[in-house]
Amino acid sequence: MLTATRPTPPIEEAPTPSVPALEVKDLHITFPGGVQALRGVDLTVGRGEVVGLVGESGSGKTVLGLAALGLLPTKAIVTGTAALSGIDMVGAPEEVRRQARRDHAGAVFQDPMTSLNPTMRIGRQVAEASGSIESAIDLLDRAGIPDPQRRIKQYPHELSGGLRQRVMIAMAIAGSPDLVVADEPTTALDVTVQSQILNLFRELRDATTSFIFVTHDLAVAREVADRIVVLYGGRVAEIGPTEDVLRAPTHPYTAALLHARLGRHSRRGEPLPTLPGEPPDPRHPAEGCAFAARCSHAEEKCTTALPVLEVTSPTRSVACVRRDEIGAHVTKLRVIESWPAAPEFTSELALQMRGITKAFGRGSARRVAVDALDLDVRKGSCVALVGESGCGKTTTLRMAVGLEKPDDGTVETGRGNPPQLVFQDAGASLTPWLRIGDLMEEPLRNAGLPAKERGQRVKDTLALVGLPDAVADARGAELSGGQRQRVALARAVLIPPTLLACDEPISALDVSLAAVVLNLLGRLSRELGMAMLFVTHDLGAARFVSDEIAVMAGGIVVERGATEEVLAAPTNDATRELLAAVPDFEAAR
Amino acid sequence: MAVADPIVFGAVADRPARVRRGMRMGVWELGGIVVLVLISLIAIFAPLLAPHSTTQPIAVGPFAAPGHGSLLGTDDLGRDILSRTLYGIRSTWLSALAVVGSGIIIGSIIGTVAAMAGGFIDTVLMRTTDLFLALPGPVLAIVAVVALGPSLPHTLLAVGVVWWPWYARIVRGEVRALLARPHVDAARLAGASNFSLARRHLLPGAFPAVLVTGSLDIGNLVLTLSGLSFLGLGAPPPTPELGAMTANGLTYLFGQPWVALVPACAVFVLAFAANLAGDGVRDLLDAV
Repeated sequence: MLTATRPTPPIEEAPTPSVPALEVKDLHITFPGGVQALRGVDLTVGRGEVVGLVGESGSGKTVLGLAALGLLPTKAIVTGTAALSGIDMVGAPEEVRRQARRDHAGAVFQDPMTSLNPTMRIGRQVAEASGSIESAIDLLDRAGIPDPQRRIKQYPHELSGGLRQRVMIAMAIAGSPDLVVADEPTTALDVTVQSQILNLFRELRDATTSFIFVTHDLAVAREVADRIVVLYGGRVAEIGPTEDVLRAPTHPYTAALLHARLGRHSRRGEPLPTLPGEPPDPRHPAEGCAFAARCSHAEEKCTTALPVLEVTSPTRSVACVRRDEIGAHVTKLRVIESWPAAPEFTSELALQMRGITKAFGRGSARRVAVDALDLDVRKGSCVALVGESGCGKTTTLRMAVGLEKPDDGTVETGRGNPPQLVFQDAGASLTPWLRIGDLMEEPLRNAGLPAKERGQRVKDTLALVGLPDAVADARGAELSGGQRQRVALARAVLIPPTLLACDEPISALDVSLAAVVLNLLGRLSRELGMAMLFVTHDLGAARFVSDEIAVMAGGIVVERGATEEVLAAPTNDATRELLAAVPDFEAAR
Repeated sequence: MAVADPIVFGAVADRPARVRRGMRMGVWELGGIVVLVLISLIAIFAPLLAPHSTTQPIAVGPFAAPGHGSLLGTDDLGRDILSRTLYGIRSTWLSALAVVGSGIIIGSIIGTVAAMAGGFIDTVLMRTTDLFLALPGPVLAIVAVVALGPSLPHTLLAVGVVWWPWYARIVRGEVRALLARPHVDAARLAGASNFSLARRHLLPGAFPAVLVTGSLDIGNLVLTLSGLSFLGLGAPPPTPELGAMTANGLTYLFGQPWVALVPACAVFVLAFAANLAGDGVRDLLDAV
């Protein structure tokens, strides 16, 4: 798997309790093509400890988890060690690693459907890991699966996403492994299911099994982790006990992550503080501190000296060249932009939906997604449509922009340009083989704008979302995630629509990128006077962007009203459930 | 995209696709493509390359062995086999390309219309496609030749009629899958008409699958066309055709084997190279 010359380390005997569950020493991992995923990571996970591995996409957190399991791609170039219960999972031969995985490790991944065998009953799959059907039933019970006797006879597709993830967890903890790596195990789940799964992790922790919990969300890490390890640019930025790190971060990046996160402190009608710049390019890592280019404390020396992780207190370490000078005075992020005043509300409507009904399937498979729904969006206002997945909010949104025809009822949009949609997955909304410039000229051409003016309009709109002209010559895959988000937004507002519909635009984004997108939406809606229909399951985002909120459940609106009022005093159980499920570290402080 | 770092890092997948795909192709496949390019050049320039007439006897007389006044010998009527084989390659190869080309064009139109229209139109078009799939190509060719008289265009018409349904099915499947992707919704919201949606946002995505099928199909078609010609269902004599030349030469297989073997080998090389090249094209495009 790695540099073939590496000597095989001796296979150790059964580990004594004093051996840490995982001991990573100076781990460097480079992928073919020059991607330096990890650039010298040291980390020790003690017995029975839960470590939250936090970082944004490309920080190397997933690769570190895979290294601990000995599951790196064979082409990766590895130096250093990652010892699982004393066995080097990056250096030992495959058979040794496989045995070690069986004896000492478990894994839970983001999407349980891809990890479970779709043709095999649940019971047999868990029994493969645990040894017998009896123990499988016991494990499923521990994983909080109701009626495990019945569930073992079912196939993965018969279970909900939350139950499937519980099955994965049951398999991961089979045989009391020394270490379980959970990589974004709740990211694909609904907020309410997410909080149940996080509770399960808390219940499962015991003295023998350690957990590495990989996540991009500090608030999720807070729910389960004893210690937090913050990764940035393939190196550890900060390590410390969860509460200490969250209360008093010592690395500027940790402080920025905390500050950029939407929360109760976020003020409506004002931009969120954001991190300037883009995440580092893992192919060309900076000579000095990877964060220096975005850090408000950066000085000359930060760009030349590679910061080393140093112990600052018995429990905490930080990698920052200026740690002594900054000390506890790590400043918060600055708000870099300002917004024009919000447009005046009018009674004129940007969207009026009356008695909307939509069903899918026929006969016994018929399922009503939206049932006689009324919804108004006034010009210049923002309505958040919230609810769990499957409640019909996305179908409603698609009918609002005309991508779906209602079976019954009327949809009227206000005078002006037709509505536009910001997709959940901005990258997938860009036709892969067309250049951004072609994609953006298309609506202008269809609207009859002369060829001469189109190019200029595209440039102007790209500038509006903070992108250089050169982006027009690129294809979607050549851009970073953040650039794709901006392009998708620019495309939607090329011809400023009366109504801008947004389908979970930040649910898949890192904290810092989510703040950027929310700011852009806020600024553009003000500058261009657009009304917004914002579909989300995240009440934090809804609180921040919307004037009014409509809570959906089972295809109907169960509660609606001014955002602040609804969130302060919910009258419906569905709303209360959504509110209770939001992981929020401020509430518990 | 942002929620979980993919196991293979984004940047690895972002590498110039050509480099990664190029490494996937084997020596055989590359050889197939090279041979096929040569064959295409021969097909185009056969009139310039052929040393003699294809229909008139040359000076050395009938059944001259290869090397004795003619590079590949002469046949029973004293015609130069090299010249006739070059022209045979030309007609077989260009015919195969024409049939595959027409299949791709007709199939793409029908498949795209079916996928985009859905419902009743889809059902009608796809059942019609199934109907044509059920027609046996060689039998249809015999009927066409009997009804219309033996000629290359008639054979091609008969084969072409049964060849497009495969492409219609593939294009329909690909387009249906693409229709579910967000970029199609985005294009609709950008005001794209159905035609521009198909041309700009759907067909380019279906093209790799069609090209792979087409390139693997050409070898198949070379054999079918040569087989029909072997059975006398191609162009009438004295037109040089590989299948007909082989059939003619069989009579003299033990005395003057080159008369049959030279055109037979040409068919073999053509079909083999086409299959290898088809694999190569698949390797190139499958990585997408």
